[in-house]
Amino acid sequence: MNLLKLDKATIKFGGLIAVNEVSFEINKGDLFGLIGPNGAGKTTCFNLITGVYKPTSGQISFDGRDITGTPANKIANLGIARTFQNIRLFKSMSVLENVVTAGYLRHKTSMASAFFYLPSAIKENEQLKEEAMKLLEVVDLAHVADVRSCDLAYGMQRRLEIARAMATQPQLLLLDEPAAGMNPQEKEELNAMVKKIRDHHNMTVLLIEHDMRFVMSLCEKIFVLDHGEEICFGPPEKVRNDPKVIAAYLGEAV
Amino acid sequence: MKFLATRVLSILAAIGFSFLVQKLAEGQDSFTQQLLVLASLYVTLSVSLNLINGITGQFSIGHAAFYQVGAYAAAYCGTAFYPNWHGSPVVWLLLMLVVGGIVAAIAGFIVGLPSLRLKGDYLAVVTMGFGEIVRIVVQNQKVLGESGGLSVHPHLQQIWVVVLLAILCIALCRNLQITAHGLPFLAVREDEVASAAMGVNVTKTKVIAFVLGSGFAGAAGAAYALQLGAINPDLFRMDQSFIILTMVVLGGTGSVTGSVLAALLLFYIPEKMRDLSDVRLSVLVSILISVGFAVAAVRYVINNVHKPIKVRAAYYAGITAVTAVVITILGKILQLVPAFQTSVEGGKLRLVVFAGVLIVLMLIRPEGIFAHHEFSWDWLLSPLKKKRTKLPGVSA
Amino acid sequence: MLDLAPHLLAGLEISTLPQQLVTGLLIGTIYALVALGYTMVYGVLKLINFAHGEVFMLGAYAALLISWSLGYTPGNSLEHGSWMALILMLIGAMIVCALIGMIIERLAYRPMRNQARIASLITAIGVSLFLQYGGQIFLLNGTPQNIDPKVSPFYSSDPTVGNIQLTIKGPNKELLAKADQMSSLVDKAKTDYEAELKLEGGDEFNLQPKGKELRDLYRKEQRDLESAKNDANKGAILVNLPKGQVFMLGSVLIIMVGLTWLVMFTRQGRAMRAVSLDFDSASLMGINVNAVVTFTFALGSSLAGAGAMMAATFQSGTKIDTFFGVLPGVKAFVAAVLGGIGNIPGAVLGGILMGLAENLVVWAGYGGYKDAIAFVILIAILLFKPGGLLGSAKVEKV
Repeated sequence: MNLLKLDKATIKFGGLIAVNEVSFEINKGDLFGLIGPNGAGKTTCFNLITGVYKPTSGQISFDGRDITGTPANKIANLGIARTFQNIRLFKSMSVLENVVTAGYLRHKTSMASAFFYLPSAIKENEQLKEEAMKLLEVVDLAHVADVRSCDLAYGMQRRLEIARAMATQPQLLLLDEPAAGMNPQEKEELNAMVKKIRDHHNMTVLLIEHDMRFVMSLCEKIFVLDHGEEICFGPPEKVRNDPKVIAAYLGEAV
Repeated sequence: MKFLATRVLSILAAIGFSFLVQKLAEGQDSFTQQLLVLASLYVTLSVSLNLINGITGQFSIGHAAFYQVGAYAAAYCGTAFYPNWHGSPVVWLLLMLVVGGIVAAIAGFIVGLPSLRLKGDYLAVVTMGFGEIVRIVVQNQKVLGESGGLSVHPHLQQIWVVVLLAILCIALCRNLQITAHGLPFLAVREDEVASAAMGVNVTKTKVIAFVLGSGFAGAAGAAYALQLGAINPDLFRMDQSFIILTMVVLGGTGSVTGSVLAALLLFYIPEKMRDLSDVRLSVLVSILISVGFAVAAVRYVINNVHKPIKVRAAYYAGITAVTAVVITILGKILQLVPAFQTSVEGGKLRLVVFAGVLIVLMLIRPEGIFAHHEFSWDWLLSPLKKKRTKLPGVSA
Repeated sequence: MLDLAPHLLAGLEISTLPQQLVTGLLIGTIYALVALGYTMVYGVLKLINFAHGEVFMLGAYAALLISWSLGYTPGNSLEHGSWMALILMLIGAMIVCALIGMIIERLAYRPMRNQARIASLITAIGVSLFLQYGGQIFLLNGTPQNIDPKVSPFYSSDPTVGNIQLTIKGPNKELLAKADQMSSLVDKAKTDYEAELKLEGGDEFNLQPKGKELRDLYRKEQRDLESAKNDANKGAILVNLPKGQVFMLGSVLIIMVGLTWLVMFTRQGRAMRAVSLDFDSASLMGINVNAVVTFTFALGSSLAGAGAMMAATFQSGTKIDTFFGVLPGVKAFVAAVLGGIGNIPGAVLGGILMGLAENLVVWAGYGGYKDAIAFVILIAILLFKPGGLLGSAKVEKV
């Protein structure tokens, strides 16, 4: 059964059609790649899925529920988490706090209990921290848990974004150019990490990436966008040899 | 069990402290008592604004409005209902704190709504505007005494109540900060889009910050009204909001202890200036000039001298000494100029000094006294520790 | 509980509306001048220059001191001002303000440029308070003073000479003629009474019965004349335009045309626009950003100076003290936001709308709320069109 389904999702900004009638389905456990040249509408797709923008027309459903136009925080609550292309960490917070913040949805105690520092709030606090530490271990950041997140190196910030997204315990994880700015070795590690996240944490992964080799080696299905429209969809082998994709990337006429 | 014991003890300590302040104040003259009351109120106001401005990052510069709403709510209730009140006046006072808090919280809710659409400077303008509207509307209401104000019944000077209010406000904010519930507030300040993507209900968080922050300001207002005995709209002008805002920023945005310290400092300095004797203009001008240069020198050291803290401390001491000498010499020289021989009333200097301290502190420490830290002895002593812990695994 | 509506529009007097609108327009031009300073500084630095109102105040003091140095001290016996005096005051105030603006920028704002915006804002508030209260020590001890209106060559104690009177709908001619006839009666009664007064020794509090009778007659005739005049003027729609304010309007228009030219068609203006679009890129393109910022402050402050000089000279009964700039400053700032902060035509539009709105509120009988209307409009605009009237709200890129 499909987990996420876009049905002719379209968004216009003024006269510009950023995403035009894009439809695809992602099944549970997929490692799904979304690629395309700059300005193809990939991030906009992410913004539509996560509720940052509301589609002009079309429908998006998640786990059988229509989530078109649902506010971002509710979508997160339903089980979609994301990272950002231009890193958006909570800069002045520590690495650990960043991850704990994303545990917000799992708060069971009320805010009043926090105000009066009741035992339940203290206990929950400890528990969230413990869980966050575990996630930091997954992305290999446990040793910098108390460092301010803006002081981290670039690659670490990207990994922290992933840990933070995972802390919402999503079913679907959206990664927006997770390998950007990483060196080949870091990319290798990231590749293994994403696979591990999918296999051990039962998350479906949808990722945007520019690095072809990275996408081809990681993803099982790839969807290619150009100028807001679908130009190709299929397994890596198919996409690699598709003349339209080659043209889009090399800028040749079809 | 341990929890219960510490909790009971800390509550008792807070109440004990409040009554201790009350006892100590009883021996003093009424002016000193008034000062204590005001100092506690300013602590409450700045800590509560810090919740909105510092912690949640919603740029509000109309805090005096909530203070005013609370004060007028208490004053109005006093006129309308106190004559039929048969309980103890102290209970009435506590009741009024609650009433003032609730009415102001409602106002805060209304003002919080625009914050859902507006950001930064625009929100600042709207909150400032709200503050002015409240003041002007009150000024035009017959029931609220127009610009003459209202006298408040009962007139009660209970210092322990305001001290306890301040402590409660600090404690609540502090508790919020050290539990996971406080993180969404910070997250909203840092990045709204990312917060929402992590499931944080941005709307709810902002509104809670506004409601709580303004509620405390309202309670402070109610306490103020009852302690003062008479209120008028002029007590809640825009510069009041500015003063409270300044306390927050000066203490370090987001730092509760910083807000407390800055509130006391900024309240203490101008009050101390009240009984300053006349100052010669020559001295004043020489201070003005030398402090200007001293600030430039300190800024130079901050930006260009990358030496251990002890060395820099020596630089600062040197600058202070030179400044003191220059003030004396320059003062003597200027004294020879006839135009500078007049004297200035010390009282007039109150707000000039306030503004001067503000500018100087901002120039040499723009992140506020405590920056985003909270006061702790470890933090205070950290520069003195030789070993600087290196961040593991952080590359340049 | 709220008595917001004392007489719910019942007392609206249509005949005074044009006058209020014209007054609003004139005040609005002053707000517009000051708002331009806010908007330009915001455009370039993204800083709300809270000290701008105080620059305005200092401009008024500069004009005052220049007028004193020209001999128009309190209680002078000079007859009439001259164009020369006006222009000296205007240019003087503009230069003084430009210098002050540059100094404030250099000393207080430039060091804060890389800091959080709230820190710059607090510094701005500090500068503003410092000038307000410091001014009380250094500027005439803070005693309120006014500029002698005689410094203006257009001034006359007789309103019919000092004003341009526009008649939209004239008074009732028949009644007016009647009133004219009555005025000769009044004159006669006056001469009779004065003659009698002289005869009785000149003490008007100690009159003989005859003197009293003549005096009462004179007073009655006077009252009758007044009421006849009132009757005649009932329904007339007249607009009084003090000549000084017409001069003011003219100057403002010239200044604004000049400013538009400067910003749109000169090298310096292009640099300003570039810096306001992107501070860092502009500096990479070889623009001396510091010079542009200094220039912007000088320009914006000089406009405030011009506004201050005119507000203090042509608004009769204006007293200057160190808080002179607070209200105009706040309102001009609101005007800038109303028009879309950072937008130059927006500031002008916002200023004029602000002036009009204020006077409409007064006209509608809610004078007490005059200072609140600015904020009410502001909040309404920001909630429904957050970028201001002519500005565009920025879409955040995710």
